[in-house]
Amino acid sequence: MADRRASPWPEAARLIVLGALGLLFLMPYIWMLSASLKPLDEIFRASLNLIPEGGGTLRNYARVLAEVPVLQYLWNGVVVCGGILFFQLLFAVPAGYAIAKLDFPGREWMFGAVMLGLLVPYHVPALPLYVAFSWIGWLNTFAALIVPSVISVFAIFLFRQFFKALPDELIHAARIDGMNELSIVWRVILPNALPAATAFAIFSVVAHWNDLFWPLIAVTGHDRATPALAILHYRSEEAGDDFGALMAASAIMTAPLVVAFLFAQRRFVEGIATTGLKG
Amino acid sequence: MSDAAAAATLRPRSRAGRQGEGLAGLLLTLPASLSYIVLLLAPTLAAVLLAFTDYELGAPSIRWIGLENFAELAEDRGFQVSLRNTLVYVGIVAPASIAGALALALLIESLTRGRALFRAVFFLPVVSLPVAMATAWQYLLHPTIGPVNALLRDIGIAGPAWLTSSDTVLLSLAFIGIWEAIGFNLVLFLAGLTAIPRELHHAAEVDGVKSAWERFRLVTWPLLGPTTLFVVTITMIRSVRTFDSVAVLTQGGPNRASEVLLYTMYTEGFTFFRLGYSAAITLVFLVIVLALMLLQTRVLDRRVHYG
Amino acid sequence: MTPCLPRRAALTLPAALAAPAIPRAQGTTEIIVHYPQPYAFKASFDAIEAAFARVDPSVRVVFHTSPNYAEGAQQVLRQAVTGQLPDLSFQSFNLLRMFAERGIARDLSPLLAREGEPAAFGYTPELLALARFAGIQAGLAYAASNAICYLNADLLRRAGFDPDALPADWDGHLALAGAVSQRVPGADGMWFAHSEWMFQTLLYGHGGRMMREDESDIAFDGPEGLATMRLLARMPSEARMPPLNPNAAVQALAAGRLAIHYRSTAVLQNIVQAVGRSFDLRTALWPVVPGRERGLAIGGAAGMLTARDPVRQEAAWRFLRFATSPEGQAMMAMASGYVPCNRIAIEDPRWLAAFYRDNPLFRPAVAQMSAAQPWFAFPGAQATRIATTIGQHVERAVQRDADPPRILSEMAADVRRLLRSRG
Repeated sequence: MADRRASPWPEAARLIVLGALGLLFLMPYIWMLSASLKPLDEIFRASLNLIPEGGGTLRNYARVLAEVPVLQYLWNGVVVCGGILFFQLLFAVPAGYAIAKLDFPGREWMFGAVMLGLLVPYHVPALPLYVAFSWIGWLNTFAALIVPSVISVFAIFLFRQFFKALPDELIHAARIDGMNELSIVWRVILPNALPAATAFAIFSVVAHWNDLFWPLIAVTGHDRATPALAILHYRSEEAGDDFGALMAASAIMTAPLVVAFLFAQRRFVEGIATTGLKG
Repeated sequence: MSDAAAAATLRPRSRAGRQGEGLAGLLLTLPASLSYIVLLLAPTLAAVLLAFTDYELGAPSIRWIGLENFAELAEDRGFQVSLRNTLVYVGIVAPASIAGALALALLIESLTRGRALFRAVFFLPVVSLPVAMATAWQYLLHPTIGPVNALLRDIGIAGPAWLTSSDTVLLSLAFIGIWEAIGFNLVLFLAGLTAIPRELHHAAEVDGVKSAWERFRLVTWPLLGPTTLFVVTITMIRSVRTFDSVAVLTQGGPNRASEVLLYTMYTEGFTFFRLGYSAAITLVFLVIVLALMLLQTRVLDRRVHYG
Repeated sequence: MTPCLPRRAALTLPAALAAPAIPRAQGTTEIIVHYPQPYAFKASFDAIEAAFARVDPSVRVVFHTSPNYAEGAQQVLRQAVTGQLPDLSFQSFNLLRMFAERGIARDLSPLLAREGEPAAFGYTPELLALARFAGIQAGLAYAASNAICYLNADLLRRAGFDPDALPADWDGHLALAGAVSQRVPGADGMWFAHSEWMFQTLLYGHGGRMMREDESDIAFDGPEGLATMRLLARMPSEARMPPLNPNAAVQALAAGRLAIHYRSTAVLQNIVQAVGRSFDLRTALWPVVPGRERGLAIGGAAGMLTARDPVRQEAAWRFLRFATSPEGQAMMAMASGYVPCNRIAIEDPRWLAAFYRDNPLFRPAVAQMSAAQPWFAFPGAQATRIATTIGQHVERAVQRDADPPRILSEMAADVRRLLRSRG
C-alpha cells in the first residue's frame, strides 16, 4: 500500500504485537523440535531451555528411523493422497464442466444433489461403507483408504463455479472449429482448469494427509497405516515414556506438508482461500 | 454481448448438436453420478435407516425398532455428557477463533511489510498433522515435565493437570482447537479484507470518518459480511467434527469429561459394534450440522450486505 | 537389557521343540500374532520372536498390536466378523472367556495332550486354569501380574520416612502419602493406577467377590465394595493424590516428584528405564486392608489360537509353545515385570533363579502371587463393556465425582443392565 492509514498504533507497535503472538503460536513446533533433540533425562528435568544442553542429540531421530518404517508410512500417505486426488479430479472436472456449461437432462437435479452432498459430513456414510468393505474384503487395503473419497461433491461444486466463470467464447470457438464435445473437454477445458485444479489439489491433499477418522476405522496393522495412524501406533507403543522419540516421530511425519507449505506458501494460502470463498 | 445473446450463440442450433451436447453431458457426469450413488447416497441412506434398527456387527439378525435408539440416547448419561461437551467446545472454539482471526487479519492487513510472513506463521497449524501437533501439545501441557507448568512453577503458580483433570481437560482441548482453527479463518478474512476496494476507505475518510474503529464499523464490517458468514458456518461445523485431539490425547476421559459426539459415535460403533445405536448418534450429529447451517443463513443472512 | 541365558539351556531346548507331530509345510509360513499393550509387551515379544526365529526359521511372525486390553478384545471380535482374524491373539485373562464362549478360541487340550504331560513342560494345573473357560483350554497363560508399590526411596527419606519400614496397611499408606505431599514442596505422595483390575484387587483385599458363586447376580455392591469405594475416595482427599493419567504418573515418578506409584508389576522394566539412575527406586508389597489378609487379583494375558488354516494353526501353536516355554517365559519376565507362567522357569535354577537373586525389584510380585486370585471374567458378550464401565466408575470415585455409596449403586445398576442385555 502506498498510502498510510490513520491508525491508533504505529506500525512498529503492530509488528511487535504480531511478532509476540506469532512466537507464542509457534511454541508447539519449537518445543517439539527442542524436545526431539534432547536426551530423556533432560526432558524429565523439565528445564525451560529451548536449546538442548551440550548441543543436543540425534539419538531420538536415529531411534525412530530404526524402529519405525518411516518411509513406508510416508509412502502410504503419498499413495493414498495421490490416488484420491487423481480420481477426484478425474470425476469432478468433467462433471463440473458439464453442469456448468452443457445442457443435458437431469442437470438441475444433479446440481441439487451436489449441494445436498455438501451438507453431509463424511462421517455419516462411514459406518455403512465400513460394513460394505468388510463384506468384499477390502479392509486394510489402499482401496479402502482411497475409494470412499473419490467422490468429492466439493470438487464438483468448485469446478462448476469455476467453469461458470469461464468465457463462453472459448467453447463457442471450439465448436465452430468443428470439435466434438469430448475433444472440447480434452483440449480446451482441462488445460484451462489448471488454476482451480491446483487450488483444489492443495486443499484435498492437506485434508487427506491429515485425516485420522477413516484410516483408524479402515486399517488395522502397520502395512497400510497412514502418517496419522503411524503416530498413533507409536504413541501406544511408547506410551509417552520416551517423549524425545515421540517428538522426533511427530516431527518427521508432519514435516512433508510443512516443508511443502513453506516452499509454496502463496499457492497453499490461495488454494484454501479461493476454494473457501468461491460462492 | 448480453447474456441471452451469448447463450444463444453458444447453443448449437442443430438438433444433432443439441443431442450431442446432451449425450456428452451425461457421459461426462457418469463417473461422478455413479460414485455419488454408490459411495455417498446409498451409504448415507443406509446410515439413516440403520439408526432405526438394532443392528450390531456380527449379529445374526437385524430388527426394526423405530425410535428406540433415540429413546435410549435420551436416557444415556454418557451421550448427554458427550452432547453437552460438544456444544460447550463449539461455544468456546468458534467465537474465540473467529474473533481472534478477525483481529489478527486486521492487524496483518494493515502492515506494509511482512504480511506473507505472519500469514504463514498463523497458517502453519492448518497444514500440520493434527495427531502430531496434539502430541506436541501434550508435551507442552504435561503436568510435571511440560514447559507451561514449568514456567508457572517458576513464577510460583501450581499449574493444573491440563489434560488429565476433568476440570480443565475440555478447556485445554478447546484451546488447542482454537490454535488449530485460527489460521484457517485468518486466511479467509484476509482474502475478504483485500477484496474491499481501497477507494471505499478513502471515501470514508473524506466523508469525515476519522477513527479506525468507526471506519471498521461503517465500511469494513458490513463489506466483510459474506466472508464472516462463511467463516462462522465453516468454523462451527469444523469444531462440531472434532475428533483427532480427543482420540489421541484423552480418549474421552478423564471420566468422560472430554468425550465428544464423533468420539462417542466411533466407540459405540467400532469398539462396541452397536452400529444401529451409533447410526442414531450419527443422525443427531447430522441434524446438529444442518441446524447450525440453517441458523447461520437465517440469522446472519439478514445482516449481510452484499455490497 | 538383553536376557542372558545359560548356554546349556539354550542348546537343549531347540531339540525338545524341534520334533513336530505334523509334517511342516515347505517354505516359510507367515503368521499374524496380535497382542495388546505394546507398552508393556513389545520388548518381551521382540526378544521371543528373535529367539524363535533361530529355533524355527520356517515360521515368520508379523505382529499387530492394540493400545490396551479392551481395544484388543474388541478388535479381535470385530475381526471374527469381518474375516480378518489373526492366527494367534493374546487377550487379558478376564476377556478370554468371551472368545471361549463364542468359539473363536480353539481348544488347546488336544494339542497339549499330543505333546505329553503339561506339568512336564511347566504348565501347572493352576496356570492352566487361568486360561480355562467354557469347558475348554482357551489359551495358555503368557504373563501374570499383581499390584505392587513403586517407591522413590530418596524422596521418602527427604520427607522423614524410612523406605525399609513402610506401614503395612492402607491407613498407614494414605497417611504417609498425605504427609509427603505436605512436607515436600512440589512433590506428591501417591498415585494409584485406577482401573477395573485395580478395583478387583482392592475388593479382594477387603474379602469381597465380583459375582455370586452361581453367577446369578453381582456381589460387589455389598459392604466390601463400599469399603473399596471409600478407600478410593480417600486417595484424592486424605492422601492428596493428583489427577494424572498413567503416563504422566510415570513421568512424575521418574522426575522425582512422586513418592509412591501404585501399579501393576507389568510395567516394572518401563519404570526402571524411565527412572534410570535418577534416584533409589524400590518396589514393595501391596498394602493390606487393616485387619485382613493380603488380597490381590492376577492380571496378565494368555495366548489364544484363532487360526483356521491347519498349516498356520500349527505354526502359531509352535510359537505359542515357545513363548510359554521356560526359555520364552524367562525372556518375558526379564523384559517386562510380569511373573512368568511356567513353573520350570520360576523354580529351575537354570532360568530365573539368578535373575531374581540379582534383581530385588522383581521379587515382590513373585512373593505375593500366592495371595492372588484369578481376574474375574464376566459372562456374556458384554464383558469388555462391563470392564470399561467399572473402570469409568472407579475413575469417578477417584475424582470424587459423587459419594462412594452413590457411585457404587450406579456402577451396580450399570453392570446389571449390561449383564441382562442381549449377548
